[in-house]
Amino acid sequence: MRNLLKTGALGLAGACALLASNAVVAEPLVITNAKIYLAGSSNDPQTIDNGGLVIEDGKITAIGVEVSVPAGAKVIDAGGKPVTPGLFAALSGLGLEEISLNREGNDRSVRGAFSLSAAIDATDALNTDSSIIPISRVGGVTRAYVTPDPGQKLFGGCGAVIDLSGSVDPVTSACIAQNTVMGFAGAVRAGGSKAAALSLLRSYLDEVALYQQSPADYRFLMSASDLSPADLKALVPYLEGEKPLLVAVESAPDILRLIRLKDKYGLDLVLYNAREAWRVAGALAAADIPVIINPLDNLPTGFETMGATLKNAARLEKAGVLVAYYDSDIGYTHNLRLLPQLAGNAVANGTSYEGALAAITLNPAKIWGLDDQLGTLQTGKIADVVIWDGDPLEVTSRPQSVIIGGKVMPLETRQTILVRRYKDLDRGDKPFAYRGR
Amino acid sequence: MAKIGGARRTGTKTGGKVSFGGMPRLAGLSALLLLAGCGGGQDKAETTSVEQMLTNPYPSTYAPYTGQPTLITGVTILDGTGAKIKDGAVFFRDGKIEAVGQTGKIKTPQGDVVKIDGRGKYLTPGLIDNHSHLGVYPAPGFRSTSDGNEATSPNTAQVWAEHSVWPQDPGFTRALAGGVTSLQILPGSANLFGGRAVSLKNVPSRTVQGMKFPDAPYGLKMACGENPKRVYSNSGPATRMGNFAGYRAAWIDATHYKKEWDDYLEKTEKGEEVDPPKRDLKMETLAGVLAGEILVNMHCYRADEFAQVIDMSKEFGYQVTAFHHVVEGYKAADLLAENGICASVWADWWGFKLEAYDGVRENAALIHNQPGSCTIIHSDSDIGIQRLNQETAKAMADGRNIGIEIAPEEAIKWITANPAKAMGVLDQTGTLEPGKMADLVLWDGDPFSVYTKTEQVFIDGALMYDVNDPSNSPRMDFEIGQEGNQTTGGAGQ
Repeated sequence: MRNLLKTGALGLAGACALLASNAVVAEPLVITNAKIYLAGSSNDPQTIDNGGLVIEDGKITAIGVEVSVPAGAKVIDAGGKPVTPGLFAALSGLGLEEISLNREGNDRSVRGAFSLSAAIDATDALNTDSSIIPISRVGGVTRAYVTPDPGQKLFGGCGAVIDLSGSVDPVTSACIAQNTVMGFAGAVRAGGSKAAALSLLRSYLDEVALYQQSPADYRFLMSASDLSPADLKALVPYLEGEKPLLVAVESAPDILRLIRLKDKYGLDLVLYNAREAWRVAGALAAADIPVIINPLDNLPTGFETMGATLKNAARLEKAGVLVAYYDSDIGYTHNLRLLPQLAGNAVANGTSYEGALAAITLNPAKIWGLDDQLGTLQTGKIADVVIWDGDPLEVTSRPQSVIIGGKVMPLETRQTILVRRYKDLDRGDKPFAYRGR
Repeated sequence: MAKIGGARRTGTKTGGKVSFGGMPRLAGLSALLLLAGCGGGQDKAETTSVEQMLTNPYPSTYAPYTGQPTLITGVTILDGTGAKIKDGAVFFRDGKIEAVGQTGKIKTPQGDVVKIDGRGKYLTPGLIDNHSHLGVYPAPGFRSTSDGNEATSPNTAQVWAEHSVWPQDPGFTRALAGGVTSLQILPGSANLFGGRAVSLKNVPSRTVQGMKFPDAPYGLKMACGENPKRVYSNSGPATRMGNFAGYRAAWIDATHYKKEWDDYLEKTEKGEEVDPPKRDLKMETLAGVLAGEILVNMHCYRADEFAQVIDMSKEFGYQVTAFHHVVEGYKAADLLAENGICASVWADWWGFKLEAYDGVRENAALIHNQPGSCTIIHSDSDIGIQRLNQETAKAMADGRNIGIEIAPEEAIKWITANPAKAMGVLDQTGTLEPGKMADLVLWDGDPFSVYTKTEQVFIDGALMYDVNDPSNSPRMDFEIGQEGNQTTGGAGQ
């Protein structure tokens, strides 16, 4: 089936050796005449002008100035436009919330004093038919981390990375990290005290250790906490850092306290919000702790965010901290398609272009342990690829083609259909309900 | 009268149909309610009649700061009237725009003039946001500063946003860095009638009065749909039909109230000695709407609800000035345009409520595409207000992608002239035309690019923000001397 005439500049290393479990089998695909943003690390931000990219069996098999076209391949002429890795949403409630403020449409967290917390798993609730999936996809988003949120307890449960292909089985990697909150958000779940929140987290971790020693005997202990055995069992992989603990935190001193906690318990930490992370950027870099920030957060919303600044992203990058961006505001789930706007503004405020692009592609893949498969345009990786009609980080640019797992995605959504239905408001021969379906 | 917050504005503008500084000259209540920001007459202190309490009890004390006569040349101008001038020039002096045109072709001013080389840069009117909660939901967002929703009754038309606005909200400084020179502060949308809105100039002051936009009419905030019925689900309204019953009952009361006052005024004009009716703050605001003096700003998402509200406005004889959010505006853009109602929208927010589920990115463009339309991009956000230009750029691009080409010189109206119109201040600001307030933004590039930043922001001719001069960047009291916040001025933060 392969009819390779010449190899590309970057070769075909390891091509089609392995398939991702959920890779979509599709005809070979070649993108030609592309300005390819390989989107590697900021010290290797290669771009290939007028390049080609070959996709076979869902993976990238060649990239270069010249690539050979496999037999039977569909060819997409990018017309010189930019081609990037698919965007990767570092945090979202995709598939968990369809309507944020209506409880019938929102499954992001438990309500009230429900008993389970850490044992909750996002993949048990995913609505894989969410309209937000195609709507985000046509905005260039191809993978998203989906996490439950803490309800009244410190833990929210574990999240997963999903693809946005529209598959009924979109899970790329399940139960990756446990969501928890510290700082003021922790305090409101721990007697109104930040100190109590941290103390509670330590006591839970100690208890997990105890549970781990002898799960069968644990339930006979007199001092059992309010965490259920299911929650304790779910927390075991976070001790000693087998899995990352995802922690919402804001202030510089709170971040330092978490770094000490990491050292004590051998935790693997990922921090989010972190509006004052820039003040302790060196410590974060030294501790190898990534942060997921909203680069637009620049208001002193409380005493733990007095240092909020548009410069957070650039300063973290400069210090060598692994940074990803997310919308902490109203677009958290519904406007993942605005990730490029976050990145563009980060550039406007001092972040390197490569660094900002990586913050919405490679870095989330690294944070969630999938950078061997996703996040850059490299041979051997899953073919999540976007062709843009202009500068990918510019607010006026839109994807003109989106490929997930090697498959070209439809660009229709219920929003594009609504537009088609109502673009012409003439009464017509039949009601609107008969049009543009 | 307190006089802090800047020099008292003198030389009161008469605004065409109303005169201040004495008894109202127009028959009817309309003459009494009126303008939020008028400086009041110079003889205010001497007379404290009922009429004056009704007219303008919290007058604007806003006074422009002094600017240098300034000539900007070689700049690309999007003037807010729909014109684009390449290699343009603007001259402003004493707070007013004096000339706009081609570089070298406008009248060259004499004397000591600051000259700015605008080559490679853009000049627009100061941006205007007609949907902001700065000051009423300030940073820090504590319970003690949560002053935007008087959610104690479905009709709180008696409350005025200006009595909640904290002028020290750091959000004002961030909005300034985004080029916002005027803004309307609205009460929240919990209630059928949320209360009066106030228009401000984005110049820091110790008092709200010191920010109040001179001669701006008041607005009334109303809300459709989900919010009121959710907030009052126990006591009512608990349904959309309950919402309408609540609006209509209030308009009936207001019609009666207005007539009482009109009758009273008519009698006093004839010289009859009669006692005035008892004032009712709630009814005063609603009667002001019926008199055409207070502008209705109604939070409303769904197309079917616009039509219901328009019928209600005809039932009681008032005009809806602007619907806000209007996520389904594209489904009824013809209806909005035919009824002369502005649509104040986000570029792409959707899905946070079921009534916002049908949001589309092409909404603004489709509304704009109707003849006689009035499209506005609003923020409703202390983050979004910092980038109204980017929101506009996105909506332009999404129009283009469905074949609706909107030129930048047209789109800029969505965040300048159109919100000025909806706030009733278009005669004073919103475009770059001789005689108007010198509210301008100099951008370091195309304002519809994500990489472009404001370079200088002028309000009434005074340079209030300069990206290259940390000393020319306001910082509110809350932020000064705080650890971690010593990087630049508040506005550039």
